[in-house]
Amino acid sequence: MTDGRAIGADGPGGAAHQAALFDRYVLPEVAVLYRVALSLTGQPADAEDLVQDTLIRAYRAVDRFDGAHPRAWLLTILRHTHINRSRRRRPFLLADGDGMGVVMERLAPSAPASDEVLISTQFQVVVADALAALPEKHRAVLALVDIDGMTYQEAADALDIPRGTVMSRLHRARKKIRDGLDDSGVQPRRRRM
Amino acid sequence: MGVREMIAMQVRCHRAARELQAYLDGEADAEASRMVAAHLEECRRCGLEASVYAAIKAAIAVGHDAGQPQEIDPVVLARLERFASGLSRTEGDRPP
Repeated sequence: MTDGRAIGADGPGGAAHQAALFDRYVLPEVAVLYRVALSLTGQPADAEDLVQDTLIRAYRAVDRFDGAHPRAWLLTILRHTHINRSRRRRPFLLADGDGMGVVMERLAPSAPASDEVLISTQFQVVVADALAALPEKHRAVLALVDIDGMTYQEAADALDIPRGTVMSRLHRARKKIRDGLDDSGVQPRRRRM
Repeated sequence: MGVREMIAMQVRCHRAARELQAYLDGEADAEASRMVAAHLEECRRCGLEASVYAAIKAAIAVGHDAGQPQEIDPVVLARLERFASGLSRTEGDRPP
């Protein structure tokens, strides 16, 4: 934790510089932090406390932040803050190949599919955001196939469009969501090896 | 891996990528499914991408099943944003 010793008020290390960095990287993400905190804590009062603690930690650390992926950086702080505060059943930490710790929470019993897929809360938030941002036509197809479990043909019949159109809208919609996960740093694409 | 083998692998990546969505949705035919499954075994990058797309599918379904997430209270959000602004104003104005 930096003691904030200033070289000059506006230079690197200066309090005004830190404030500017904070305004630039952190302020735009307060709503997202709050939403994830609500998911993590399930309690509005706890969520508010959690976000405040996170904001304080972020303020202290922002001069050491490299500027890439502010949302992922902040959600990491949020997650660590939550773990430190929580006395309940602790989520277990899994590190992926990039060394970014990812909190995995077991899916609700209603989780689909043969494999048990562990999904982090921040993954879900980014997916939900990207889903909401999709054009209606694309979102409708995704909802029919992934939520209502329809086949491509059933979705095509329901929307009165060709099966091929269902497929192309699905592809486009999912690629947009994948892009969102890449852009936010939550799930970067790996380079071809 | 020699150059020829690398090119052959990239061709397999490309073919598998084209069928991947249908494969994950259970809509690929038997031959395409076999092809994709085999490639996901041999190719780490494509295997990882496939799990990401599978996780996206699951997140969409679970996000819905879990019901609407807790509603964001605009009063609380406004308070948090004031708190955040206050941090930088207070700290930023502090004399060095």
